Amino acid sequence: MNPQLGAALAAEEAAIYAYGVIGVRLNSRGDETEARVAEQAHRGRRDYLVARLAAVKASSAPSPAGYELPFPVTDRATALKLAIQIEDGVAQSWRPVLAVTTGNDRGTALAAMTEAAVRATRWRRLAEVTPATLPFPGRPE
Amino acid sequence: MVLTGAVRMSVTRHSRRRVLGTAGLNVLGLTVLGMSGCGLLDDEPEPPAAPDPLQPLLDEALALAASYDRAILSQPGLAARLTPLADDHRVHAAELARLIGAVVPSAGASSAPSGPADAAAGTVASLRTAEQAAQKSAVAACKAATPERAGLVGSIAACRATHAEALR
Repeated sequence: MNPQLGAALAAEEAAIYAYGVIGVRLNSRGDETEARVAEQAHRGRRDYLVARLAAVKASSAPSPAGYELPFPVTDRATALKLAIQIEDGVAQSWRPVLAVTTGNDRGTALAAMTEAAVRATRWRRLAEVTPATLPFPGRPE
Repeated sequence: MVLTGAVRMSVTRHSRRRVLGTAGLNVLGLTVLGMSGCGLLDDEPEPPAAPDPLQPLLDEALALAASYDRAILSQPGLAARLTPLADDHRVHAAELARLIGAVVPSAGASSAPSGPADAAAGTVASLRTAEQAAQKSAVAACKAATPERAGLVGSIAACRATHAEALR
């Protein structure tokens, strides 16, 4: 279970970093609120994972000091593109947790995966990407 | 002569069945095989296999796809928005069918329009309600699923949630 939780933690930490970059390139109140709420959600999931890993006495890799972005984020369009990619990636990082958990823990993992997928859909709609949904959120493409 | 031959054959058939039955009882590893051999000879129907626990999820996916088809028929202006969502459900049904070894009925049988055309808003709102209910059942199915199936069922649950979001 720990490698899967560790991978989800790494994805959540990367998402928190990315939203810092995304936020400065958004220029409408609606977009900014969306990004702030998303970042807050990722912080909540990160805290859950840190506590979960501590409870099973597993050490997690320290979060890296910085990240290399997959492409330069220079305007609203590239910021939205990164937000979509980040949420898709977070959903993918939670999916393997489903197979190694049961009961409430699996329910939490599914909620985290689903919320990331829903945020990806919201970002796609803001970016006018169609279709705004994927048939199998969380499944690696 | 003819009569004697027939009697002899019938006797042979009985003794052959008795041999099969005896073999089934005597050899531990072959017991089941021997017994089912008798069952086949006696034309006893096999008990029907219990439906796969994911069969309801497959049925639900097909019903949702059909609901979208009806909505598109009554409101063609919604086709661009609704078709990708209907397609997702069909992909889910195909994937579930492949997983559990079921056969998906061909499309079209259940897609005939029924009842008066709803207003577009009403149609979208009712589809959204249906997606939310379907998400709940997929969440329950994911929690009950084996580890091997949890990912696929979880993705279907998440997809239904994104559909509800897309219909807001």
